[in-house]
Amino acid sequence: MPTYLRSRSFVALALLPAMLIFIVFAIVPIIWSAYYGFFDWSGLGSLKFIGLDNYEMMLQDPIFWRALKNNLILVASAIIGQVPIALLLALLLLKNSMFNRVIRSAVFMPMVLSTVVVGLIWGYIYQPQIGLLNTVLEMLGLDSWIRAWLSDPKVNMYAVSIPINWANIGPYLVIFIAALQNISSEVNDAAKIDGAVGFRKLFYVTLPNIWDTVIVTIILCISGSLKAFDHVIVMTGGGPAQSTELLATYMYNNSFTVYRYGYGSAVSTMIILISALLIGLNYIITKRRG
Amino acid sequence: MKKRLTLVITLIALISLLTAACSSGNQTNESHEGGSNEKVKLTIWHNFAGDDLRAKAVRGLIDEYKKANPNVELDAQAIPVDGYRQRLSTVAAGNEMPDVFFVYAGSQSQEFYDAGLLQPITPLAEEYPEWKGNFMDGAFDRFEFEEGQIYSAPIGLSATSFLYYNKDLFEKHGVKVPTTWTELMAAVKTFNDNGITPIALGNKAPWVAQSTILGSLADRVTGTDWFLKAVKGEASFTDPVFVDALGKFKELVDNKAFQEGANSIDNTQAEQYFIQGNAAMMVSGAWTLTNLAASATPEQVAPIEVTTMPAIEGGAGEAGTISGGAGGGFALSKKTEGAAKDAALDLIYSISGPDGQKAIAESNSMVMYKMDLASSNVSPLYLKAFNVAMEAGITPVYDAYLSAEAGESINNGLQEIMMGGKPEDVAKKLQDAQARSTQK
Amino acid sequence: MLPTTNTRAAAADPRPQPWKKPLGLLLKLALFLYAAFTLYPLYWLIISAFKSNQDFFNRPFGLPAGWQFSNISRAWELGDMGRAMMNSTIVTIASVVLTVVLGTLAAYALSRFAFRASGLVKGLFLLGMLIPIHSTLVPLFIFMNKIGMLDTYWSLILPYTAFELSIAIFLNIAYMQSIPREVEEAAMIDGNGWWGVFGRIIFPLCLPVIATVTILAFLRFWNDFSFALVFINSQALKTLPLSLSLFSDGFGTDYALTMGAMFIAVIPTIVIYLIFQEQIMKGMVAGSVKG
Repeated sequence: MPTYLRSRSFVALALLPAMLIFIVFAIVPIIWSAYYGFFDWSGLGSLKFIGLDNYEMMLQDPIFWRALKNNLILVASAIIGQVPIALLLALLLLKNSMFNRVIRSAVFMPMVLSTVVVGLIWGYIYQPQIGLLNTVLEMLGLDSWIRAWLSDPKVNMYAVSIPINWANIGPYLVIFIAALQNISSEVNDAAKIDGAVGFRKLFYVTLPNIWDTVIVTIILCISGSLKAFDHVIVMTGGGPAQSTELLATYMYNNSFTVYRYGYGSAVSTMIILISALLIGLNYIITKRRG
Repeated sequence: MKKRLTLVITLIALISLLTAACSSGNQTNESHEGGSNEKVKLTIWHNFAGDDLRAKAVRGLIDEYKKANPNVELDAQAIPVDGYRQRLSTVAAGNEMPDVFFVYAGSQSQEFYDAGLLQPITPLAEEYPEWKGNFMDGAFDRFEFEEGQIYSAPIGLSATSFLYYNKDLFEKHGVKVPTTWTELMAAVKTFNDNGITPIALGNKAPWVAQSTILGSLADRVTGTDWFLKAVKGEASFTDPVFVDALGKFKELVDNKAFQEGANSIDNTQAEQYFIQGNAAMMVSGAWTLTNLAASATPEQVAPIEVTTMPAIEGGAGEAGTISGGAGGGFALSKKTEGAAKDAALDLIYSISGPDGQKAIAESNSMVMYKMDLASSNVSPLYLKAFNVAMEAGITPVYDAYLSAEAGESINNGLQEIMMGGKPEDVAKKLQDAQARSTQK
Repeated sequence: MLPTTNTRAAAADPRPQPWKKPLGLLLKLALFLYAAFTLYPLYWLIISAFKSNQDFFNRPFGLPAGWQFSNISRAWELGDMGRAMMNSTIVTIASVVLTVVLGTLAAYALSRFAFRASGLVKGLFLLGMLIPIHSTLVPLFIFMNKIGMLDTYWSLILPYTAFELSIAIFLNIAYMQSIPREVEEAAMIDGNGWWGVFGRIIFPLCLPVIATVTILAFLRFWNDFSFALVFINSQALKTLPLSLSLFSDGFGTDYALTMGAMFIAVIPTIVIYLIFQEQIMKGMVAGSVKG
């Protein structure tokens, strides 16, 4: 059957270049890194095979569990923060008026700035002596709320998660706007005829039509939050006393600062496993709902 | 006159080294001329990438070498400090070290040595015994991995614990500049009562409190010998004497010696806080001199004085010392051989030799090489600090001796104490981490 | 007011809603405030880029006491930013083009053709989104060193592309799900092969999501520090992020120069965003005509 053969060769040719680059430059290195995870290796000199010892040590290290907890806080805040806010903004800003264009661009701007700038400015907002937040609280007479936001271990992880969410809304907004535009006008017209407006339209027309995109954004939230690194490095460096440590900063420190490269590699493999687990969970949950 | 003489001597030394390099590369039957014209390829990596005086001085030295050695094709890489460690670690993992590279004294050079990536630069010391003799005591402590072999020569003195203070604030509130712990605690109280932060501290990068405060504080309590024993595993960090030392740090924390949120502001911000007159004191290293030179007005610097940390009554250690040590130097890759090795040694000497040390010292940056700076054009505060450092005994900085993991542990431990943690727990974690790495 | 009433359908909504106007205004005000809140860091970067170091610390939120234009020129010169920008432009554009073309093509194959291994291939690409890039530094370094690829533009272009392909593919697949198949069938009848359908129909229809991918990929490549730090040796090939970190030495940071350099580096990203954002919207018009 010529058409069948033709489509088969098309599929092969269409996938091949992407697969090739992806496997060679992403998959092979990560398998390689997972392999290092079975060794006691400082990153220099000789390697010693130790089987699963790195994983055992990891599970016994309270810092690992703290980092995981902090990452889960980020995942949760991303899913209940970034996605709904971005979707809401996308719905509000879909129409291409001048006002909307300006607001859309503004919302995206934190993404454009380097994390160093975002970290610095939020550092000044949270700054204990002259910081914006404490100044405002003082003006409002809420003196009892004043604290060192980034160094008080009771609140600092939440304090850190706000800028991360704030900076990441932009890309989701763009993704949602692109998806919303793809809902054909017939669908919208049909909805209008059926009298579906407001929340009813949102749940019965809009959301189902962009559901695939919603799932992708949730996957992005999970994987992005578990890989989160830059903002925390700039704002707290994972401290004080590792109270804002994340899996990625924990991995980085072990790999490049304290010469436990093998252990660091095991942590990075763990990050992938946990992400995969969460995404699997998400898949099961959203599948049922969708 | 004296300057010119050293220059002449150095030139002669350089020329003799060059001829030596040529002849040694000439053991085969090749003609002498052929040897000296041969192009030698050399790479050097360092982190003097910025716009500060010291970075410029080091880059200047490398450029001079380039000019003086047209037969060497030198590839010099200035890598930003932020990424230097990571870059070097990655190439080390791939065993692709450059010929000559800057290493930090302490765990980094130790790890590189352990992995067999370095070779000694002892030939330089043999060739220039006077140069080697001119270094301060202890300059080679962390670079002498084997008896009689040095693997680098420090191009900086990392003096980490000067007590800077604002003379105006002390006068205004009638406080005596503390020379004992009791006086320090009294000063802390008075300043707090007057709404002034006693000691500015920016401990966001957690090495700061360890490097600047704990080093000299603990040395005063435990004495240097105890610390060196503990590093080797002959004493334990869980010993009461060290827990006491951490207790002193806790005493500072409990008496609110540091400003609120010190763990979330960085060193630069703390320096600014201090220089703006919000804090009476700051315990910091020589780098603060460089930073202030770049970002403070002369009026702000005028009331700043510099001394050593106060003595601790009943402690086993000496008073009047500052913690410090070799700040890093250039090392030679094991894989560099033959003519390239000679050229590399020559390059290291051009940077770390007497002229290099002088050039670096004149960039307002401390060196471990004895010289007279009085007539040089350096800032007055720097000169004051330089003289304090020359007179004071130098005691070890913790993270230069601890393993990388133990260093991390105590850094985090001090932050923990600042958050209400117990000295005993911190001491235990430190001991565990150090024990793990000495067992290997 | 409910969110969706603001879409196209709202214009023709027949029911009278007297409360709509003030509520709409309130909403606009809220949006405006939120936008100001997100724009502030950019404003702060700009004013900080023109401050002296003293000024930066003494009045972190105020306007510059004296506008120091020299920050920009000095950062430009000291950071060798002209050349760095050239390199970043080459590397970024090449990687974005590769990512978009290969990603869209692969997504098309994956979304339209049911073949046995498609689940496996999707799973593999999904894995790509989970990889923390720092853990690939050492393996990639060793590998590219062996094949002699280090210190070339390719040592950045190929890894960048590899790590961005996953997002490109998944966003494209999600987007393509809602393109009706009739469009392609009609084109097939007109005598187009698969390549023709892809080039003439699918690619143009996907422009909004392609613009999205372009923006995201551009930002990632333009700002990447780790790969650029480790895989590039020659001064001549250094990219921008390395210039941005030149003015910090671990003990202190020259903020005047750092901010100046960041100001320079952020301009292209803003321009790219504004251009491609328009593209997303244009795609909407095109899409609605065809759909």
